[in-house]
Amino acid sequence: MTSALWTHLIKDLRIEWRSKDAINSMLFFALLVVVLFSMSFDPQGAFARDIAGGVLCVATMFASVSALNQAWAREIRHQVLDAQRMAPTSGAELFLAKVIANFLFVAIVQVVLAPVFLVMYNLNVQGQAWKLALVLPLGTWALVANGTFFAAMAIRSRNRELLLPLILFPIFLPALLAMVVATKDILTGESDPSLWIKLLLGYDIIFTTVSLLLFDVIFHAE
Amino acid sequence: MKKLVLGLYAIATVALMIWGFYQAMYVAPDDALQGYIFRIIYYHVPSASVAFVFFAVSLFGSIGYLTFRRGNHDRAQIADAWALAGAEVGVVFCTVVLLTGPIWGRRAWGIWWTWDARLTTTLVLWLIYVSYLLLRRFAAGPQMQTLAAVLGVFGALDVPIVYMSNRWWRTQHPAPVFGGDPGSGMKDPAMLAAFGWNMLAWFAWGIFVLILRYNVERKHQQYAEQEAEEALAANL
Amino acid sequence: MSQADILDHQFVTAAYIITWVLQLGYLAWLGLKWRSEKRNAEQRQKRG
Repeated sequence: MTSALWTHLIKDLRIEWRSKDAINSMLFFALLVVVLFSMSFDPQGAFARDIAGGVLCVATMFASVSALNQAWAREIRHQVLDAQRMAPTSGAELFLAKVIANFLFVAIVQVVLAPVFLVMYNLNVQGQAWKLALVLPLGTWALVANGTFFAAMAIRSRNRELLLPLILFPIFLPALLAMVVATKDILTGESDPSLWIKLLLGYDIIFTTVSLLLFDVIFHAE
Repeated sequence: MKKLVLGLYAIATVALMIWGFYQAMYVAPDDALQGYIFRIIYYHVPSASVAFVFFAVSLFGSIGYLTFRRGNHDRAQIADAWALAGAEVGVVFCTVVLLTGPIWGRRAWGIWWTWDARLTTTLVLWLIYVSYLLLRRFAAGPQMQTLAAVLGVFGALDVPIVYMSNRWWRTQHPAPVFGGDPGSGMKDPAMLAAFGWNMLAWFAWGIFVLILRYNVERKHQQYAEQEAEEALAANL
Repeated sequence: MSQADILDHQFVTAAYIITWVLQLGYLAWLGLKWRSEKRNAEQRQKRG
């Protein structure tokens, strides 16, 4: 890991540790979604296993969007973003550091949420539970990598809170589908999720690579 | 001279449209299996073809813009105009597809919608390019063109992934497919002729509108550039 | 004609009409945009 990447990452983690802004708002929002769906559908048994994947992914998605906007907005204050642009390091390192930081924040939210989820949806995993440890991080990475990239694109527009989900969600759709179906397959034990895990891996590799290559283009867009 | 050619082309397009309509409604016979409702195909499938081709035009425009924006300003602006025109006209045609399709499906197969590979991909394509147009509207300042071009590239990358993921999903959960390959069903020469004429007519119409949109955008670009120059000069 | 045939005809008509409304509507919007660009260019000529 280059020193620039490490510096950016530590900086973001430290800022978040002190204020806990992003994690708190994400946690609360995600919790709200999980509770709301549990209340309105009162899921039991097989039905709960069917929808749990979808609910978890949607909760993660909505929660992440608010955090993603905050991540870059923080940089724009006090012209920090301009300072970053003038630094001799490549923008890709700043980008990757932000993605890793955001990924950790979302992962923390998911870990905290997991027991709540298990309880409210009365879940017992029928398939191979360890595969969830593959599906969730891969899916979350897809969301956070693309989300951080598009948030950087949206940051200078006047409707950035609206624009980010608008441009993120259509492109995120195949990864969302993979995450939801794979989770459902694992929970219900009905079919093999390997194909979806491979799709998520491929999606992550393709879009992370393209984002790293094109980040400087949008960062220095004039 | 250009206006004369454009005018003649417009008249030819309208004539093709009228001929295509006549073919579709009065010459082509009812489909053996689906009956009268099958006639929607003469507008639905050509619209889909035009939409996909124009989205490809938009993609090339985006790539062209990213390639030329530092080196050749004029070429970059031309590329960006094609990117926008392709996207906007493509969305119009894609909207037609997404509205006429369910109307056809409801009568022919009893369902308004299903999540098969073709429909899902078309819907996602529509969503991506609508979001592209929204980015162009909401993004501020001169960097908008760069951002839009990047989004165009991302969107294009996504499409084959959507298609494949849906095909895999479908092998696990087989479900009704919205119409087989329309070409395979058509053996009657009168039907093939009507299909061919309408394909030609809709492409002619699409290209006509695309060229118009391109020209309007070029005019707008020139106006915006002159405004910017004036503002700079006023400050000196 | 049976009820099914009537519905078929209505659906086909609806599909064709929707197509034309969208296409002609877009063309009309494009025409308005053309006119506003022309007006902008003329105003500039007068000023410059």
